[in-house]
Amino acid sequence: MTDHPGGWSTEQRARERELLARLTSLDPEHPERAGVRDELVVLHLPLVRYLAHRYRSQGEPLDDVTQVGTLGLLKAVDRFDPERGTAFSTFATPTIIGEIKRHYRDNTWALRLPRGLKERVLQVGRRTDELTVAAGRAPTVAELAEDLDLTDEEVIEAIEARHAYSAESFDPHPDAGHDERFGATEAGFESVEDLASLQPLLAALPERERAILALRFTEELSQAQIADRLGISQMHVSRLLARTLAQLRAGLADA
Amino acid sequence: MRDEVTLTFGVDTRNMGLARTVAATMAARAGLTVDRLEDVRLAVDEAVSQVISEAPRDGKVACRFEVTADSLLIDVTAPNASGRYPSTDTFGWTVLRALVDEVSPDIDDSTLTLRLRVHRATTVDV
Repeated sequence: MTDHPGGWSTEQRARERELLARLTSLDPEHPERAGVRDELVVLHLPLVRYLAHRYRSQGEPLDDVTQVGTLGLLKAVDRFDPERGTAFSTFATPTIIGEIKRHYRDNTWALRLPRGLKERVLQVGRRTDELTVAAGRAPTVAELAEDLDLTDEEVIEAIEARHAYSAESFDPHPDAGHDERFGATEAGFESVEDLASLQPLLAALPERERAILALRFTEELSQAQIADRLGISQMHVSRLLARTLAQLRAGLADA
Repeated sequence: MRDEVTLTFGVDTRNMGLARTVAATMAARAGLTVDRLEDVRLAVDEAVSQVISEAPRDGKVACRFEVTADSLLIDVTAPNASGRYPSTDTFGWTVLRALVDEVSPDIDDSTLTLRLRVHRATTVDV
């Protein structure tokens, strides 16, 4: 770990300046331009990953958010004007965040929410876009509430739900190092690597346990609904789920 | 009448959701657009995470929100044994600077405060 977690070395900064100067000096059609652009993007990918970690919702694969953020980074590289005197990272951050926000506004289907709230989330998102187009700026909470005949609290709740963060998903343990906190550590089974190592573990489970997992996480049924479907008590479902998940976690740790 | 709210909680990441929710509520009260509101949520998340990273585990974090005539002011405070100003050469700092209009650190009696200011009239590109 360095003294400046997430920060850059002097060499990287010098390289960035050099690349940005090169990029602006090159004609848009110049054959070298693509290479310079690529190197700038690669240089700033850690910033994208950091923002993706910060902004991602519960259950959202990190890769998807990183991809969307990288799109924002590309836009920032193309729009950057070094003569304005802003550092590139300061310029690029809102563009990357903007792209990630748009992703969430457009992709709420994956949210695990009660139906009423999910509908409200979609309604607030849609209306935000419409009012933004109409007014040339995003609406305030009060404007949305009036327009949709909701209370301010209901609008805020919908906005909050869109980013249904999992507090555990980046668990910044106070004593953990920065890299550890924002690196690859995940509490659940959310990373792609985990999914791959999960396959053999899943295959080894008894059929009933596998069925419960599928009902819970693929069909997103509640424990009560699963209990109903399998004709066992909810308590039993809860115990089986907890045991199976613990087994999988242990299996992953050994993998 | 001063429009002021202070939220105090233990150094525990499970509390960060509370800070974000209060941030959203106060941003709405300040009449910020929903885009700015989301920026404020993220900024508070970032600020809390920064002060927590240097705080002892039995410490308390305080988030003070005040809506003034022209700004939403947010002070995020936690004990800080090192007495050092946070490095401004980090992603976290870049994010904070990009999300709010002003951010400044303040060290006092071994507590670290990050002061954020968001202008109420500010709107950003979507």
